[in-house]
Amino acid sequence: MPVDNSIKKLLIVDDSKVSRMLIRTHILAQRPEWIISEAVCGEEAIALVDNDLPDYCTMDINMPGIQGTDAAEQILSKHPSIKTVIFSANIQETHQTRARSLGTILVAKPVTEKSIALTLDFFATSQ
Amino acid sequence: MNNLSDLHIDALAEVFSIGAGRAALSLSEIVGDEVRISVPSIQVINSKDINSATLLLNDGRFGAVSQYFSGPFNAEAVLLFAEDQALKIVGDMMGSQMSIEELAEFEHEAMCELGNIILNACLSAMADIFEFTLESSLPDYTVASADEILHRLKTNSNQPYVMVLHIDLTIEKRHTAGNLVFLLSSSSLDSLISHVDQFLGKIS
Repeated sequence: MPVDNSIKKLLIVDDSKVSRMLIRTHILAQRPEWIISEAVCGEEAIALVDNDLPDYCTMDINMPGIQGTDAAEQILSKHPSIKTVIFSANIQETHQTRARSLGTILVAKPVTEKSIALTLDFFATSQ
Repeated sequence: MNNLSDLHIDALAEVFSIGAGRAALSLSEIVGDEVRISVPSIQVINSKDINSATLLLNDGRFGAVSQYFSGPFNAEAVLLFAEDQALKIVGDMMGSQMSIEELAEFEHEAMCELGNIILNACLSAMADIFEFTLESSLPDYTVASADEILHRLKTNSNQPYVMVLHIDLTIEKRHTAGNLVFLLSSSSLDSLISHVDQFLGKIS
């Protein structure tokens, strides 16, 4: 598959600094030209995307404040162009179904090269 | 006990969050409904400083599932639930309308299985992320008072540190709070911190 080398903007939403560091490190290893921003909760993410629209978003589910899936739903209702991947350790069917209903995919934590490859593949193929 | 930074705690919280997610998936397959497990807080303290407030223990009796883990570090892990809550969890796991007396017959076996699922999910997440191998013993289940549990934790001179995780478990809309306690020797705590440092070194 041809790799799109254009500069893209990715928003990482996760309350864990370590998790954000992991996603950032793995993504930049594959796409060093990408511009990455971070939010520590759903509410911050909703505010951020209105000011600086990203191309892509990774969203944790269990965070203080609103759940990541609810934040993703709000964001996507206003900005359906943002390709979003839900990252969660909770991969029960209810969450998978919810993720699919939002037009996103659920990728199981921990964040690894494999889960980042799934993420980048989704971003590239869901144009 | 100042060797753990906020970033260490964040890394451990993320590991246990992943472990809790794995355990919730396994338990949901047993109870046939959504299960939520979260780990809202982690603290590492000297075992002599542990008290009933640390573990949110009241005057009742508690079910404790114990399991020993060995590998790059050794730990005794103890999963604690108030016994009346433990019996409700057993009821959810058995999936029928049994009386408390009938449930008590299955309490030992079901709580060992619950402990086995949660403890191994957490430890396997830790092993996968920090890239080491941990072996575990068979789980054991005892029922004890808060005083008996605290006495046992505080007088274990070989393992002077305890890592305490508060656990919120929700099965079929029923909320239960418990604790997961790891008893660690000084060298085991150092080894654990060293592995967290190695992991953080790769991503910072």
